Amino acid sequence: MIAIWTIAKREIVSFFLSPFAYVVLTAWVLWQGAMYTIFSMFVAATPIGSASETDPLQMLFGQTTLFFLPLLVFVPVLTMRLLAEESRQGTLEALLTAPVTSAQVVLGKYLSALVFWAALWLPTLMYVWLTSRFGDIDWGRLGATFVGIFGIGAYYMSLGVLMSAVAKSQISAAVLTFMSLGMLFALGILQFMQVDDATLQVIRYVSVWQHMQAFSSGIIDSRYVVYDLSVAALGVFFAVQVLEIRRVEA
Amino acid sequence: MIEVEHLSKSYGSRLAVEDLSFTVEAGEIVGFLGPNGAGKSTTLRMLTGFLPPTAGRIRVDGIDMLADPVEAKRRIGYMPESCPLYGEMRVREYLRYRAELKRVPGRDRERRVDAALGLADVGSVADRVISQLSKGTRQRVGLADALVADPPLLVLDEPTAGLDPNQIRQVRDVIKGLAGKKTVLLSTHILPEVEASCTRVVIIHRGRLVREGAPDRIRAIEGGSSVLVVSKAPEERLVVALRAVAGVEEVVVRDRDGDTIRYDVRASGPSEGEIALAERVFSAVAEAGLTLRELREVEAASLEDVFSALTTTDHAAASNPPELPS
Repeated sequence: MIAIWTIAKREIVSFFLSPFAYVVLTAWVLWQGAMYTIFSMFVAATPIGSASETDPLQMLFGQTTLFFLPLLVFVPVLTMRLLAEESRQGTLEALLTAPVTSAQVVLGKYLSALVFWAALWLPTLMYVWLTSRFGDIDWGRLGATFVGIFGIGAYYMSLGVLMSAVAKSQISAAVLTFMSLGMLFALGILQFMQVDDATLQVIRYVSVWQHMQAFSSGIIDSRYVVYDLSVAALGVFFAVQVLEIRRVEA
Repeated sequence: MIEVEHLSKSYGSRLAVEDLSFTVEAGEIVGFLGPNGAGKSTTLRMLTGFLPPTAGRIRVDGIDMLADPVEAKRRIGYMPESCPLYGEMRVREYLRYRAELKRVPGRDRERRVDAALGLADVGSVADRVISQLSKGTRQRVGLADALVADPPLLVLDEPTAGLDPNQIRQVRDVIKGLAGKKTVLLSTHILPEVEASCTRVVIIHRGRLVREGAPDRIRAIEGGSSVLVVSKAPEERLVVALRAVAGVEEVVVRDRDGDTIRYDVRASGPSEGEIALAERVFSAVAEAGLTLRELREVEAASLEDVFSALTTTDHAAASNPPELPS
């Protein structure tokens, strides 16, 4: 447990001491700011009392697929260096010959990835504050939204860690993560095709579109939570296996 | 401290290490020698728990590396060959991190980091960023990392590669200073280095053990010994007497000057019962009732000669290494 924290701490400190972190976070905040502005303008233009009444926060946090668009880029960028850089630099050898297990290494990296994820969402609280100044906030719904965001983070970041374990360079890790997240995201489009009921059920369950729509409307659907955490656990498990295989081949 | 039994490692069909067995006793400084590609780094990586072996057993301080890797690794300070470090960290920061990772308790950590900085002579760069350091300095930071948790066993993969002569001497002094306190297994190409600091050497070639023993002993055994004999005694009788000396393999007439003849006498193997070849020749000639004008020891082969003889021929792979008395 201590080893996991030691590894995560080094990663987090390294990240926040690098200019890279601020480039990424600035780009992210700019994107989110642009989205919030657009959604606010959209909501302002909607006649009061109309059936599609919504608030800009809800739109920002998952009512639209625009929520996922930046994540497909930012998640790979945040996770690409975690393990790929250790393999490339050769520091993996120093790391794995310290009294730690491969599982502790992967969990440490994963923990730091979750902290990066939290760092992405922390600034979005300012939109909550902004919205609260001009209207009412449904705090329950907001809570559900953040449960959903955490779930998506656990899921996406574990895939990023896995791809960083698989790839031998940061760039290929980023590309692999982008590809896998993109493909899983694209699954959502299948629900608009003529498919039988059973298939539709599966797609709805797997699709992140449905997922964040539910959470941002204030519904904590335990099926989605279970799904996120299962994928996260699977990703971490496979990352440990890949690291073990990597050692045999080294 | 280290027990290696029938260790093998294969990559696909290629055998990198084959049936390697050796031991390192506590307190020894052992040099691990072999040409490039002999399997040195692979062996050290298996010893330190980075690579899983294909077959065989490794025990460190009695703990099986495969059964309890974390406990075994706690006893090892390892410096990998290329000495990989995190370039963006500062030296002290890096050592603190490594100490924490190696479970040095928080209250001892600063003291251990300072001790390691001092031992490896990197105190003056403690607050510099690692990526800005020269190769030699980085190498010593790697050494400090190996020392930081105060482990009983140090495994150093080419600790002096890329260092200038002064730095090599510094590293050698550090290692010598550890004699008696720590067990050290180090691989190197620099043979005088081995003679200067190692109590024993293990030589491997093509993944197999070829020789193991004290450096001077290996030198004596492999290089044999030879003497120069000058005499006016009748040639046939003297040659017969010389050939009868235990261990003598070859008696060659080097040159003649009138009836004074100079012979080269070569013997193989270690001196019989620690009696030098010259002494044996002297008593044999005296017993035969002959006289000598001159008897001189010829410079023994260097470790380098022995190393190249052992690692350029196939005899290494062809035969099992003889068991040497140590």
